[in-house]
Amino acid sequence: MSRVALVALAIAGAAALITFPLWSSGWESSRYATTILRDMLVLGILALSLDLLVGSAGLPSLGHAAFFGTGAYGAAIVAQRVGNDDLLLGLAAAIGASALLALVIGLFAVRAAGIFFLMLTLAFAQMVFALAFQAVDLSGGSNGLAGVHRPQLLGLDFNGPEALFELVASLFVIVVLVLWRVRSSTYGRALIGLRENERRMRALGYDTTRLKLSAFVLAGALAGIGGALSGWSLRYVSTNDVGIERSIEAFVSVLIGGTGTLLGPAIGAVVVLYVERVLPSSIPFAETVLGVLFIVFVALARQGIVGLGRAAYRRARA
Amino acid sequence: MSPEVAVQQALNGISFGALLFILAAGLSLIFGMMDVVNLAHGAFYMLGAYIALTVVQRTGQFWLGLVLAPLLVGALGLAIEPLLLRRLRGRHLDQVLLTIGISLVIGDLIGLIAGREIRSLPFPAGLDHSVPIMGGDYPVYRLFVIAFGLALAALFAFVHRRSRIGALIRAGVDDAPMLAALGVDIDRLFATTFGVGAALAAVAGVIAAPVFGVFPGMDVDALIYSLIVVVVGGLGTLSGAIAGGALVGPADTFGKVLFPQFALALIFAIVAFVLLLRPTGLLGRVRIVR
Amino acid sequence: MTDSDTSYRLSRRKFLAAGGAVALAAACGPAAAPSASPSAAATASAAATTALKPLKIGQLLPFTKVYAELGNSMKRSTDLYLKQKGNKLAGRTVAPPIYEDEANDPVVGAQKTQKFIEQDQVDVMMGIVATPIAYAVRNAIDSAKMIFIETNAGGNSLTRDVPNCTPACKSKYIFRSSFSSWQISAPIGEYFATKRGVKEAFTFVADYGFGTESAADFTNSFTKAGGKVTGSLKAPLGSADFLPFVTQLKNQPTKDIYSFFSGTDAINYIKAWNQLGMPAAGYKMNGAGFLTEQDVLKEVKELANGAVTSLFWAVTLDNAENKAFVDAYQKEYNLLPDVFAVQAWDGMNALDLALQAVKGDTSNKDAFIAALENVKFNSPRGAFEFDKVTHNPIQDMYIRQVAVQNGAAVNTIVDKIARVTDPGKPTT
Repeated sequence: MSRVALVALAIAGAAALITFPLWSSGWESSRYATTILRDMLVLGILALSLDLLVGSAGLPSLGHAAFFGTGAYGAAIVAQRVGNDDLLLGLAAAIGASALLALVIGLFAVRAAGIFFLMLTLAFAQMVFALAFQAVDLSGGSNGLAGVHRPQLLGLDFNGPEALFELVASLFVIVVLVLWRVRSSTYGRALIGLRENERRMRALGYDTTRLKLSAFVLAGALAGIGGALSGWSLRYVSTNDVGIERSIEAFVSVLIGGTGTLLGPAIGAVVVLYVERVLPSSIPFAETVLGVLFIVFVALARQGIVGLGRAAYRRARA
Repeated sequence: MSPEVAVQQALNGISFGALLFILAAGLSLIFGMMDVVNLAHGAFYMLGAYIALTVVQRTGQFWLGLVLAPLLVGALGLAIEPLLLRRLRGRHLDQVLLTIGISLVIGDLIGLIAGREIRSLPFPAGLDHSVPIMGGDYPVYRLFVIAFGLALAALFAFVHRRSRIGALIRAGVDDAPMLAALGVDIDRLFATTFGVGAALAAVAGVIAAPVFGVFPGMDVDALIYSLIVVVVGGLGTLSGAIAGGALVGPADTFGKVLFPQFALALIFAIVAFVLLLRPTGLLGRVRIVR
Repeated sequence: MTDSDTSYRLSRRKFLAAGGAVALAAACGPAAAPSASPSAAATASAAATTALKPLKIGQLLPFTKVYAELGNSMKRSTDLYLKQKGNKLAGRTVAPPIYEDEANDPVVGAQKTQKFIEQDQVDVMMGIVATPIAYAVRNAIDSAKMIFIETNAGGNSLTRDVPNCTPACKSKYIFRSSFSSWQISAPIGEYFATKRGVKEAFTFVADYGFGTESAADFTNSFTKAGGKVTGSLKAPLGSADFLPFVTQLKNQPTKDIYSFFSGTDAINYIKAWNQLGMPAAGYKMNGAGFLTEQDVLKEVKELANGAVTSLFWAVTLDNAENKAFVDAYQKEYNLLPDVFAVQAWDGMNALDLALQAVKGDTSNKDAFIAALENVKFNSPRGAFEFDKVTHNPIQDMYIRQVAVQNGAAVNTIVDKIARVTDPGKPTT
């Protein structure tokens, strides 16, 4: 497909996504569909940010939800304390909090690689969970942080479900754009080089520790955006948002969708949420289905859905 | 804290540490031998506990459960390795990911088959009383756990000393074709290692069940504790699990009581603290992980 | 800050939708569009001309994760109630309730609540075990004007006037058929100080919302009645090892310990308590009722003997309704019911009576709310009614003591605090 056609397709796709509530309003239970799609996009943002680490830099983090939840808490707490629901303030608070946390944790974590890194990120995420649980005055503790206001921008508020969806979808598109630019930049290529052969990168003169740390912080910041959106969607932040289940959800999404691809993690998020939230209404063994699906992808279709799609496309053209 | 209480808490810490070591042993074995972090470790632990529960319900025999659970779970591990992990040999990260999927499946199936009630395993007869120690009663079962932990550690040391087996497996991780060329059946070696690791997890499930309980979600709790122990103690060595348990057990016990506000975060703070000082854990050796 | 969502945007703008979005929509469309409940499909077409459509009930309960046992118990109770009534309440057919899993996660709970409101369009919503989930969905339920009979979560704020409605506050649409954590924690404080002559107590609770609320309410009322709380200890929720904590308890002088734990924590605590010889050393275990509820007692059996707790029900409660309830439950399921089953049962009973008052017609919400406010019935727990201001139950609190009867560990009633009602606003 030609470049122009691809760009047109992308723009049309983004536009269709953002305006989903409008053109689907005639569907039966369209508002519920909007809610589910919105949750999928939020998890999608978390998965996309995680893939910057997993797919590009080769850093398997099992504690990524820590940044997601911290972003959620950050946006909510700052808005409540300052008494201002401005969208930009909320986003700044979310990104600031999660990026800062990512910096702190990253300083420890990037000294490790592979399996070590995996376990370190897990331990730190659990610490964040514990802190969120204990700091009752700040985070609401186990009862969660309620009374989170949806943001507003220049007088336009995002209280209604359609407006909120459009905000979530727009930020989703922005995150995708950011990642697309990162992946095609020399920085992004350096990250991939890091994943393929760290020693060679060092020999080429790259400061691999700084590279890893910057990726970690960027991934954390993007996850924080997802967190803010989650808090606004629910009008509530819970300790589950920094919990290990959320981290695993994101990880599974990345794998199933296709790591190292632009949209793979988001597609994975759609599949994962479908199995976790929609399927259980019909069957009692949804988690088994998810586990089996995951095993099948890891063992047989490691490149995920996007990888399968690409292979099918290539075969079709041949 | 008076000296008497300190001693009692120290005993608590040591027995908790022993439990942690027993819990982490299987994980440590599989990682040390195969470079695979078996994230299904918690699921095998849970499976062991539920099997013991069923055995005790039907026969009232705790010791039978202690024998049967590792046999069954070990067999499962023995089957999983060739079926699922072998095709990913050499791709360590992917093997780790696969075990995540296995843990999801096992966890859910246990819930579907055995139900999701909260259960507890009673202490086995003969070990369900307390004895006077240092002016207070101390449960015999905890002393049994300490003894069991010591025995297991001795077993590990023995195997480690029989360096031929250890060396064989290590060699298999580093250069499998070479080892195969030397006539060693590495497939059988790895399958057995994974099976033994799973069996150890099941043993931990049985031993810990009377203390920790049997309930949905116990697999995640156990996995997190195991990872903490192995990371703190040092990855890449079997004795790391021992060191990890010996440190985390008492530290967590005293910490919980002295600093209750941070009780939940404390155990992870210990992880961070140790890793700050020694990035590969207390007894860890620097390893090349590809 | 309510949703301005009472109108759909009807104008449809056409877009040249390209592959990506269509694929995404295709993935979601089939998921969202079909009516999931078989009853809707089956009965919609068969709807009689004059009869009301079948009543749709949405039940949000945990079926996975740590509270799954409670969800299963409450489902059994709900199903039994409907079975006894021939699946008809107030002459109106009741569709099989739509059960959804709250999975101990507020995000999931919120989504399922949206499903009940928008996709299933239930007439009544019931359930919710975990307080954080109840708090998370309170506003959505209130905005949607969904009648919600909450059947477990005991967070005080759900039925109180709370400044800024944080973490939650009462709503005219929300009723609770279970309890408020204050009800099971505060009266026993006053009771100990005044009726039992307990001068000093020490609190030891699980360190999370429910535990800390319970400790605070007990401390408040115990102190007000002249008692002294000499110290407190908290254990993280889901603590693996209780020995260190009980060791601390044993090494302080106050013998009356007030505790809040439930489920696995309660089981492990009681076992550790016995292992360290606390009863022989003169220590007394007291607490809020969930410490020794049936789910715990069936595992610890006689180890909890003598523990004194307060709750609005015990399986041994001697009244006609409870006998009938326990017998019916046992006959159907071969299990003893627990308090969660009672809560679900009473929720159904309240629904039943309110429906009778409005002759099965739930279309007038205000009338239905008024009907619910006025229900009064004999429940297995005794006389049941809602406090008209808070929508929380007004109920008797029983002081219970664990003993083994007929080979099973149960709570026997030793005293009663009559007609306890929640204060309706924060007390601490």
